Amino acid sequence: MSRTKTIRTDYLARVEGEGGMTVKMRDGAVEDVQLRIYEPPRFFEAFLQGRDFREAPDVTARICGICPVAYQMAACLAMESLAGVEVEGQLRALRRLLYCGEWIESHTLHIFMLHAPDFLGVHSAVELAAIDRPLVETALRLKKLGNDVMRVVGGREVHPINVRVGGWYKAPTRAELDALVPELEWALAASLDATRLVAGFDFPELEQDYLFMALADDDEYPIDRGSHLVTSHGALFPVADFYEHVTEHHVAHSNALQATLDGEPYLVGPLARYALHHERLSPAAHAVAGDVGLEPVVKNPFRSIVVRAVELVHACEEALRLIEHYEQPPEPSLEVLPRAGTGHGASEAPRGVLYHRYRLDDAGTILDAKIVPPTSQNQRMIEDDLRAFVGAHASLPDEELQWRCEQAIRNYDPCISCATHFLDLQVQRL
Amino acid sequence: MIGVGNDLRGDDAAGLRVARALADEAEVRELEGEPVGLMDAWDGFERAILVDATQSGAAPGTVLRIAAHEAPLPPEMRRASTHLLGVADAVELARTLEKLPPWTVVYGIEGACFDTGAALSPEVESAVGEVAAAIREELAGA
Repeated sequence: MSRTKTIRTDYLARVEGEGGMTVKMRDGAVEDVQLRIYEPPRFFEAFLQGRDFREAPDVTARICGICPVAYQMAACLAMESLAGVEVEGQLRALRRLLYCGEWIESHTLHIFMLHAPDFLGVHSAVELAAIDRPLVETALRLKKLGNDVMRVVGGREVHPINVRVGGWYKAPTRAELDALVPELEWALAASLDATRLVAGFDFPELEQDYLFMALADDDEYPIDRGSHLVTSHGALFPVADFYEHVTEHHVAHSNALQATLDGEPYLVGPLARYALHHERLSPAAHAVAGDVGLEPVVKNPFRSIVVRAVELVHACEEALRLIEHYEQPPEPSLEVLPRAGTGHGASEAPRGVLYHRYRLDDAGTILDAKIVPPTSQNQRMIEDDLRAFVGAHASLPDEELQWRCEQAIRNYDPCISCATHFLDLQVQRL
Repeated sequence: MIGVGNDLRGDDAAGLRVARALADEAEVRELEGEPVGLMDAWDGFERAILVDATQSGAAPGTVLRIAAHEAPLPPEMRRASTHLLGVADAVELARTLEKLPPWTVVYGIEGACFDTGAALSPEVESAVGEVAAAIREELAGA
């Protein structure tokens, strides 16, 4: 006789019925792990058809309230690559600065408000504020700084309105950027402290042999762009060849597509960027990674919180460097003329590679659009992690096991807006 | 008066629609529910009214009014996920950090459909008018 036990949590719920995760166990062994994802990008791909190519950055920015800049940059890069225009110099520096603001916002939210509570024995940021008020106040101040960078460069805190294909509607003045410096200097020191703090957490044991993928661009730690994609298996290919290596599969349990890289599950995001590019981190970020004993390749997904903190240091230091060298450009943008063909663009969203592909006619009308967000690329890997992790902890009581599964999902900072709007998690013992 | 929601997610736009209805009558903000933005928006104010969509299983269009300065928000107001913190978290965080306006009222409007690109449900459409009228009375009685 088989007994089914279902545990269900609403902790992640916002909009029910769209997605979720089910772990099925039989006789103490993991039988199946399924992550179901709902993907707004499919709606936006259809919505973009028939629109002017210049609308793509603003339309796709609406996909995500947390990483709108990632969408704007990938869309701009795709359109510019097709037109043969390269946005360089200060126009490009401003893009990287805006993106640093997004990394600061997004990483701060995840490190302090969502991930740290798991390691400090509390269930939420609200409980954390009750036991460690200064830590939460630091987080809010860092997040506000990220908002300020977005507002000064992007014109607005959420969904920047100053970004356009070819550059900007208006370039900020030197004085406007200089005003950000004192708070960025504070943030650099605060993020170094945060890195040391989170590196001292107790991490559950889990080692995964990941296949990593990240963007690569000259000698920079990839953020706003990349000409190529690089993998931990040594592959290096142009962004335009994305679909020659990445295959998206339909799976029965999710309406999202699951991706493989040359036939294998793979990982994008902080662990991937760090493994492939840690030597390109800013001086303070590189130094603190060494100080806290971060190995060159981090294989424990729970330690992604430390890598995010190192990237937070990098974003603050990089923003300071960009502002130090800033000169207001004479023109805020370059002219980009429509051309028929297919354009490709990719950027490093806080949670990993985001790829856009557009096909235009000679008037610049979008004939079709493809958007591949990071969370759907990581979906197979999240399932694999959960299978390994649940298998090793199957004897835990249901409530404890469920909490551990939630932690394992949080390791990936899954983007609910671009890939899953919420997760409903079930553990079934059959 | 802060309207919270997403225009592209069907009934999730309810709070934004109330904000637009009151744009000429109160100091109005439209936000997506990100907690720092919310805490910034009400910082320094004596009185704040928030309107957000809910999904608690109640009948579509059901209106909930909670005096948030008196007691914690109920679970159906929670928007938390692995990735986002929402209105209830922002209110509770502000309460803990003593940053909540001394008079804070939260209205919830029960949504029926949160699909991307969907229009507002008729029940929610009429609840939007109802809540805007109720807020007008609150403002008049201030």
